[in-house]
Amino acid sequence: MTRVPLQKKSALTVILSLIFFLVIIATSSELVARTPWVEKISPYRSVGNYHYQFEIKWFRLQDYVKQNGGVDVIILGSSLANTGIDPDVMAEAFYEQTGVNLRIFNFGVEGLTVAPNSVTAGILVARYHPALLVYVTEMRDFVAGNGMAYETRFLADPWLQYELGNFNGYGWAVDHSAALQHYLPYRNWMRADFLETMPVYLVRNKYTTASGYEPEFAYGRDLDANPDPNDPNEAANFQEYSNYQIAPARLGNLRTILDLKQDDGTPVLIVEMPVHSSFYIYVGGEGVHQQFQQTLASFIHFNGGIFLPAEACNDIPLEGRSNRWHLNYLGAPIFSKCLGQQLSILADQQNTDFVNVNMGGLK
Amino acid sequence: MSITSLAFVAFCVVAILVYWLLPSPYRTGWLFAASIGFLLTWAWDLAAVLLVVATVNFYLGRWLEVAVNKRRFLLWTGIGFNVLVLVALKYNGFYVSALTSLLEHMGVQTGGGGLKLLLPIGLSFITVQMISYLVDIHNKILKPEPRWLDFTLYVVYFPKLLSGPVERARTILPKFKQPSPLDMSAAEQNAWLIVVGLMRKLILADTLLSIIPGDIFLHPESYVGQDLAVCLLAYAFVIYNDFAGYTSIVRGVSGFFGIELTNNFKLPYFARNFTEFWDRWHVSLSQWLRDYIFFPVSRALAKKVPNRDHFVHLIAPPIVTMLVSGMWHGLGWNFLVWGGLHGLYLFFERLTMLRGPRRLPDEWPKWRQVASALVVFGLVVLAWIPFRMDLATAWHYLSRMFTLSAWAKPNLWLMRMYLTGNEKVSNWADFKLPDVRVLLVLIPALLLDWNQHRRKSETFFLDWPAWARGLFLAIVILALLLLSFADTGAPFIYQGF
Repeated sequence: MTRVPLQKKSALTVILSLIFFLVIIATSSELVARTPWVEKISPYRSVGNYHYQFEIKWFRLQDYVKQNGGVDVIILGSSLANTGIDPDVMAEAFYEQTGVNLRIFNFGVEGLTVAPNSVTAGILVARYHPALLVYVTEMRDFVAGNGMAYETRFLADPWLQYELGNFNGYGWAVDHSAALQHYLPYRNWMRADFLETMPVYLVRNKYTTASGYEPEFAYGRDLDANPDPNDPNEAANFQEYSNYQIAPARLGNLRTILDLKQDDGTPVLIVEMPVHSSFYIYVGGEGVHQQFQQTLASFIHFNGGIFLPAEACNDIPLEGRSNRWHLNYLGAPIFSKCLGQQLSILADQQNTDFVNVNMGGLK
Repeated sequence: MSITSLAFVAFCVVAILVYWLLPSPYRTGWLFAASIGFLLTWAWDLAAVLLVVATVNFYLGRWLEVAVNKRRFLLWTGIGFNVLVLVALKYNGFYVSALTSLLEHMGVQTGGGGLKLLLPIGLSFITVQMISYLVDIHNKILKPEPRWLDFTLYVVYFPKLLSGPVERARTILPKFKQPSPLDMSAAEQNAWLIVVGLMRKLILADTLLSIIPGDIFLHPESYVGQDLAVCLLAYAFVIYNDFAGYTSIVRGVSGFFGIELTNNFKLPYFARNFTEFWDRWHVSLSQWLRDYIFFPVSRALAKKVPNRDHFVHLIAPPIVTMLVSGMWHGLGWNFLVWGGLHGLYLFFERLTMLRGPRRLPDEWPKWRQVASALVVFGLVVLAWIPFRMDLATAWHYLSRMFTLSAWAKPNLWLMRMYLTGNEKVSNWADFKLPDVRVLLVLIPALLLDWNQHRRKSETFFLDWPAWARGLFLAIVILALLLLSFADTGAPFIYQGF
């Protein structure tokens, strides 16, 4: 029998010990991370996506579904949806009209245009099978290049790619590991800006409601005054939105969302956000807006969706706006109530696909 | 290809396996091919430049050997050629804009963005190696390498390509021809060197670097005195762990080929005087500077001023040597000031030695060793200020750090209110406290150094029981994994030199 040299034996023991301790540490971390104690001292979770507000919504929706046994309506969009729609008010308005309790969640995420949202929509519908998907939009959503920086980075995220079916170890690990999900909110603890950004994250986490609404407390200034093309502060907006044109690629993204009706049987309602009328000065006037609405409406109808134009809920007082686009905590309940009522009207229109599918799902 | 990437790990595993599987006559060729392959992952034109540099020096060395007359001329031609390549490619910031405008004035199109010249990585390291090669042949202490392949491998050998160590041809060329056998003990030693290097670079240096605000070395006036002091301390450990980490990794990798590289760092912050500091910091360059600048300057002076205790003998060699060291790091006034400061430190140290018989630091009483180490460390840290920033900013930094009114009283009341949930803050700076995270990282950094110092071994872990090494490795791997989730990837600082 040959004797194993001492050095070789030692190296083997090191490797075996390494594996043993890795397994022990990983297992114990997982066990601890899943205890209510950890949930209590650090309720924050992350999947390593750079967009921390997306992550707040992602986990808030998971909790919402766990607590309510599912979700009927998912609202998707940018910051306009995030701060503009309170699902609880909307559900209450719908209940008053129909007597039906809707479980609504607001998945509006800052900076995400129709391009990344077309991806998010697919993931959310596949996971939660809502009875209705509401996509909140407005003219800027269809400007080519708008929000590209967010889009590229958002879509490159390995976890998101994993969710889309492109398997990778990183995505699998963060999707399955509670320990990692509890560590990742603090992953940038060594970055110089961490001590400034973390409190902001904590505050947003705190103020985002269980149904995903994040109130905005700011008030808009001089919204009634039309923007001046000669004002240097307005130059960027005029440059970006004048000569307004709908980008075909963005319509393609919208079609991806609308196709969810055919692919998964989920009806899609496209809601145009009632921005302040002075915004239309940037794009060339109300005429350009009307043209946009006509194009969008026919596109949506052609692709089997339902379109709710801005005029349907445009009765927002000036103090209900935080700027030309966003609503604040005073404007959001007004708009949400109106939206709930509009939804009930749509549900009453028996001849639409939405109602046919939806009534079974909702009642 | 970064040497901390997984691609580099795969590259090394293949290179090492093939190297040892090949019959020994083919190993040099394989190492050469692997090094060129590594170079090509950076830029093909970089490989071309280095091959030209190697070939010119190879033939210059041979001519120097056989030349009867004009040996001195050939030597200076060689030195001139190497310095010219360095200046032309590395220090092009000084002349490219002027050249661009001249060309455009003459009607030559430069492509709109001005002239873009290749910036070969590691060129400063290669230049000094080439100069020492030619000088050694000229001084007849080295025979020129007869084989182009072996000599070119000396130039492009990938573990030492990016940032050294600065190896002498006379020590490394024999190692290429007769590498040490790789047994289990050597493999384990090399593996631990790599682990120590990764710890220093990825866990200590990169983490500290991330903590330091990006603009503190640009706008020191925006920060209070305690922030400036703590960030300077952090930077001192960043630059040390970054470079020492790199050296440890490449020594470990090279060790797997049976080729030992110089240990560039011997716990420099434990040095008890400046002479000792330069025996411990960037050792291979320090030794090069000693042999090719300090000694020749001293010898030249001795011919003119025979009295060795003369003032000029005390000041000129260290000042000249350290100014050259500064210029080697970069053509800028700040690097000259950094070098000049170290030259002055060495001069004052030599001055004190005149007072009595010289005693080695080991013979000093313990209290003096500790006090001296602290003074040396403090002065070295201060010298990093001009090393890191331009002179005007460096002056602001230094003066603000030493202005009492710039130091703010910590707002402990606010912190208490914040911790009890009675106050909201959006900025750590509101507390007027130094960043505690720096101290959090400095503790393991100091523990590593202290253990290496106390046990007089870089890889003291090898003395631990196997299970403890396994546990330690598991902790290191998990730390690396957790840190990898943050966006903090930073290139090696000395890769820029």
